[in-house]
Amino acid sequence: MRTSRRFFSRWQNWLGLLLVSMFVVVAIFAPLLSPKVPEDPSAQKAIGRVTRLEPQPPSTEAPLGTTASQYSVYHALVWGSRSAIVFGLMVTIFSAFIGILVGTTSAYFGGFINSLLMRISDAFLSFPIIAGVVLVQQIVTSILYDAGVAFMRVGGTFPGTKGVFFIPENLSAFLTWLQQFDPIPVAFILFSWMPYARLMNTAVLKLKNTEYVEAARVAGVKNFRIIFRHLIPNSIAPVIVMTAKDVGGMVLLQTTFTFIGLGGNSPWGELLALGRDWIISAGGILTYWWVFLPATVALLLFGIGWNLLGDGLNDALNPRTQVLKY
Amino acid sequence: MRNLLQHLIKRIISLIITLFIITAVLYATVMFTPPETRATLFMPKNTSPRMTEQQYQAMLNRMIEKYHLNDPYPVQYFYWVSSLLQGNWGYSPVLQENILSAIVARTPATAELALFSILLFIPLGIISGVIAGSRQHKASDHGFRITAFIATSLPSFILALILLSFFYVDLHWFAPGRATSSISNVINSQDFRLYTGMYTIDGLLNGRPDVTLDALRHLAMPVFTLAIAHWATLGRITRATMVEEMQQDYVTAARARGLPDSRIVWGHTLRNAASPALTSSILSATSLLTGVYVVEILFNINGISSVAVSSMAFIPDASAALGFGIYNVILVWFLMLILDVAQSLIDPRIREAV
Repeated sequence: MRTSRRFFSRWQNWLGLLLVSMFVVVAIFAPLLSPKVPEDPSAQKAIGRVTRLEPQPPSTEAPLGTTASQYSVYHALVWGSRSAIVFGLMVTIFSAFIGILVGTTSAYFGGFINSLLMRISDAFLSFPIIAGVVLVQQIVTSILYDAGVAFMRVGGTFPGTKGVFFIPENLSAFLTWLQQFDPIPVAFILFSWMPYARLMNTAVLKLKNTEYVEAARVAGVKNFRIIFRHLIPNSIAPVIVMTAKDVGGMVLLQTTFTFIGLGGNSPWGELLALGRDWIISAGGILTYWWVFLPATVALLLFGIGWNLLGDGLNDALNPRTQVLKY
Repeated sequence: MRNLLQHLIKRIISLIITLFIITAVLYATVMFTPPETRATLFMPKNTSPRMTEQQYQAMLNRMIEKYHLNDPYPVQYFYWVSSLLQGNWGYSPVLQENILSAIVARTPATAELALFSILLFIPLGIISGVIAGSRQHKASDHGFRITAFIATSLPSFILALILLSFFYVDLHWFAPGRATSSISNVINSQDFRLYTGMYTIDGLLNGRPDVTLDALRHLAMPVFTLAIAHWATLGRITRATMVEEMQQDYVTAARARGLPDSRIVWGHTLRNAASPALTSSILSATSLLTGVYVVEILFNINGISSVAVSSMAFIPDASAALGFGIYNVILVWFLMLILDVAQSLIDPRIREAV
């Protein structure tokens, strides 16, 4: 229990924990804090006419004002917390999971498998995540297009289908699911497991020649059991630290993709995208402060919270391996 | 020396293998899209309104035949590889030019951004990381950590818009884009020779400091936006390594011998802490050079990342996607080579291992 005592001995760790739990609480109680319109599943709630462009200052109906097209800032902020927590944890945990598997297997078996898996990881590393996102998006669109779903496309000329949405009636369950599929989390997971694999790889390489692992092998323990009972539990601490630190970064990246219109469905990103044209205005940046300040502060606190938590865990678990973002 | 040569040959072989894997996978992804759709990229932008459906279809089929779009995957891939080996990177219908010249034309803008960001964030990151790390839990350490947390968590697009609002709209100090229109005219004129494509350097080489000054005025905001995030990453890593190094026995021994702290920190521990900082800097450089889409969009800079996005965004453009793939792989390979050489220069243990 020395670990937890060490963790709680610093006020910075308390602050990190407080910030993160604040977002978790808001995420859990989102339906109470800002009820959704029953028939609208989106995280945006329109207050007043959508055709009205100018953002409105805070009122009783919209405690933090409205964005352009009159969407409530407060509503998107509350539901955005839920989306951020779910998205951040899902992406980092899945990436960490893949990274742990790849890193451990390659280090444990060594030789050809090691160099092959590390080459693959290098190949993924040499691609910027934005190319990965468009790639995954492209594959999904192509599969749907093959099935006869037509999209509005910019650029090429499509006689007959140009600018028309057409969904065939007898679509299989998989394709129907694929239509609502968001490629962003998949692309993020696909392009962010490599640092975890690296970290795990170095940690396991150091561990696998220690005496107790040798002893287990001599005693006839199966590879599978050695990996899952000895190697992974004993080298996972730096991965946990990295996971905690990455949650904020992943959500920040998702917000960025939503902001530039490449998907991601981040309510905070939508909020900022709606406010985009009102940040720079003749009366100075604070004329319409509510269109960007609440969402920015939320993102900042979210990122700082997870980073503090990660640093605190790092000090408390004191892993000898350097936590380095490759 | 012989070892070094062997090492280099090994590296080159691994580069060729990576190139092969990446282009093969990318081509397979492109092939997901049916040939009819991909053929529409090659169609003229304005087809005559009197064109009938049959005529359009016939034209489409001609395009499919001309560019071998209906052939099986290995055949198409082979066509692409053989033309690449002849030095032809392929015509990109989306960018409307040969992909190699498109990449060459767009690289200087991105490289200039990356260069100035690196010049800014590496010294600042290392200095602040060392200062914070050698004074753990003191005021300067807390100050650094808070600033670094804010810098990593602040969305770059918001920072960009805030900068634009203050320094462009209000104060008129800096501007988006790459050059003012009058300076663009100078750059595009006959007398002005483009040596590197980077306006700041070319301005000096041509004896036109006004071009350099103008280019710097346009670089200030995007460079600051890019540098601040990488500064935080580098600073935090340097700090973490310094904290660990300062607890080593040799530091205590040096202190016992009466060495001043400043000499211990800058002369001894920094040297030992340099390796992770170097890795982090090189990785930052990679991400700066392969695409900083948001910053390039918001500051209206026509850089390399637009190739990545436009090649895949609507209808996949095989030559653009593959061209960008090659650019990326070679760049990362080269930077990793630099990293290895630099690592072995600062750490003799690695030098012996090579």
